[in-house]
Amino acid sequence: MKFARITALLVVALSLAACGGGVASQVVPGKKIAFLLPESTSPRYENQDRPLFQAKLESVCGDCTVMYRNANGDAAAQRQQADYVLGAGANVLVLDPVDASSASAIVSAATRRHVPVIAYDRLVISATSLRYYVGFDDAAIGTLQGDSLLAALKAAQPSVVMLNGDAADRDAAALKQAVHKVIDGKVVVAKEFDTPASSSDGAQLEMTQALAALTALNGTVDGVYAANDEMASGAVAAIKAAKLKTMPPVTGGDTELAAVQRIVAGDQYMTVYRPVRQEAEAAAVIAYDLAYGVAISASMTGGNTMDNGAALVPAVLIQPVAVTRRTVISTVVADGFWTRAEICTPEFVQACQAAGLS
Amino acid sequence: MAEKEVPPALVAQTLGQYVRASAARVRAGDSGVLPVVGAMVAILVVFSIWSPNHVFLLPVNLVNLFQQSAVVMVLAMGEGFALVLGEIDLSVGFVGACGAAITVQLVQPVTTRWPWWAAIAAGLLFCAVFGAIQGTLITRLRLPSFIVTLGGFLIANGLFLIILAFGPFSGFPLLAANDTNVQAVYKLMWGNLDPTVSWIGAAVVVAGLGGFMWWADHRRRTSGLVAPPASLTYIKVGLIAVVAVVVVAISNTNRANIGVLAGVPWVIPIVLVVLAAWTILLERTKYGRYVYAIGGNPEAARRAGINLSVVRTIAFMLCSVTAGVAMLLYASLLGGMSNNVQGGQYVLYAVAAAVIGGTSLMGGRGKALHGILGGLVIGGINNGMNLQGLRFELQYIVTGLVLLAAVAIDALSRRGASSGSVTRV
Repeated sequence: MKFARITALLVVALSLAACGGGVASQVVPGKKIAFLLPESTSPRYENQDRPLFQAKLESVCGDCTVMYRNANGDAAAQRQQADYVLGAGANVLVLDPVDASSASAIVSAATRRHVPVIAYDRLVISATSLRYYVGFDDAAIGTLQGDSLLAALKAAQPSVVMLNGDAADRDAAALKQAVHKVIDGKVVVAKEFDTPASSSDGAQLEMTQALAALTALNGTVDGVYAANDEMASGAVAAIKAAKLKTMPPVTGGDTELAAVQRIVAGDQYMTVYRPVRQEAEAAAVIAYDLAYGVAISASMTGGNTMDNGAALVPAVLIQPVAVTRRTVISTVVADGFWTRAEICTPEFVQACQAAGLS
Repeated sequence: MAEKEVPPALVAQTLGQYVRASAARVRAGDSGVLPVVGAMVAILVVFSIWSPNHVFLLPVNLVNLFQQSAVVMVLAMGEGFALVLGEIDLSVGFVGACGAAITVQLVQPVTTRWPWWAAIAAGLLFCAVFGAIQGTLITRLRLPSFIVTLGGFLIANGLFLIILAFGPFSGFPLLAANDTNVQAVYKLMWGNLDPTVSWIGAAVVVAGLGGFMWWADHRRRTSGLVAPPASLTYIKVGLIAVVAVVVVAISNTNRANIGVLAGVPWVIPIVLVVLAAWTILLERTKYGRYVYAIGGNPEAARRAGINLSVVRTIAFMLCSVTAGVAMLLYASLLGGMSNNVQGGQYVLYAVAAAVIGGTSLMGGRGKALHGILGGLVIGGINNGMNLQGLRFELQYIVTGLVLLAAVAIDALSRRGASSGSVTRV
């Protein structure tokens, strides 16, 4: 009995010490990681980022808690959510900003409380004290698309139609430049268009006209560069309507379900997949390290930084990967980005069987 | 001045008189469809000479051109109802897109699997209700149509995204399944009539139209009314026959790179049915006369005992329904419905097409045919410039210039106003 009483006293003393002499709490609290996501219209945040982040954090840190909030596209709501989690004692903020500029106020507020902030998926602009950025290496997408297209082309001096995104869109312009850098000199760009609003109907019109013009000159189309999946859908519709001898390889961009289905059916050659799993897991690991003051190995960033206008932020850049008919299973299906059931709707059942998906 | 105030067809007894009366009308400023036909000829000549191997004039491209222009043509015919009343409907793009999205969703074999006709009826019914509500707000509460339909534009945009999100299609329901109902909707734009059926159909249409025109004149003559000279009727029927033969001959050539792709595409008769229905409604019925009367001078129409509210509300309803047909063609062209429909831009193109075709923004003047002609002009510019691979910035600029020219012609013709509403100074 005496022994038991001493143990009980010891436990109380220890827990009081752990709380810094505070009151009440009987349990030793672990660290609190706040995970602030921007919106819920795109299914990825609720279905991918949130569970993947949570699962990884639990596996590296058994007693950490995730304080999850979703701002539903409202920058002011995100600010309030940030204030709330900071007040509730968050130790690290993982922030996917609704508004990249105004979110710098959230970073300042966190810094005043000595809470480190990781920008997740989107960089926070002009925030001096941002500790890390975890996101996709979007600068690599153009190279990836160009390399994939080249790999799919068999002919010598192949003739390619390029459907770029909206010329007014800065990202689309950068993409166009990157693709040109890869394919110029190796292919003949027979026709090239900038597509207003990067829309599928615009791409369809352009592709139809390119085919009409090239056919009249006895030219061929050996490959089609479409900057994103919307435009790829327009290009495929135009090519099918013109009844070409063989379907030329058509590139795409953002792993839309319809694009994955076209890839399985052989209508589209590739799309670009940003592996959300890697992104969410890298963020979870860094959040844990920052929370417990563990030194973060240089290999995480590979020395990469992102310039947010105020500082060079150490950046973990996740490489985008190409999804072709051969890699659908090992990429989007393996990560659960799209499930077999979602891809193999009745009209794609046969194509799925042929691709080994069912 | 007499020959300027009534259509030449009513005063002329011989072909010579008719030509002189028409010339006088044109000189007086009422140039009718002449400018837009001139623009079409100019587009045809410029792009035929300019395009590689004159591909602009090849059957495959001309059929493409019609398919590409069909959405704007039908949308412009709908917008015409609002414009003739002197109003505007900014919501047509997204209201029509909602209707089309409903249809595309309802025919999906994995979810609702409605028969195609019921799905189309449901989509058009949505448009009718939406249009009737907007029309009621405009007429009963006397709100400006610009604001009501601007609100409608935003509401329909939101509803459109909600409708698209239903079902396991991640916001992009396709018209790809090998299901008869899905294929029926898909073929609105991509289906072709059998070449033989195409010829028979064209013959029936020409014979029917010719017979009707002859019968109408005959009835006027036997009733002792003024009728246009018989030779004029023959010339008109002859022209229609020539157009029909050319269209069918073009469509019946093989347009495929491999295999066979020939015959008149379904979309041509679909557009012609809309044209015929709205032309008859506007020009041959009491309702049509009321629309023109209200557009020309609402106060005079009201004093003449016309029920303005009912006529206007129905016009806005028909406008929305026609938009539903247009966007159904859009869904078929795209092979599905996607959330990046440029609903705002389509409205502007529809207004531009109607105005380029000869419809007046001031109300009181406009025909369904104007939407077709204007749609072909806009479609022709886009088609030709894309063949050339020209930057789209230039397409916008050229379309804008053509639109300005069309409005300028409209304004100039109002100085010698012989029909329509009062001149604006």
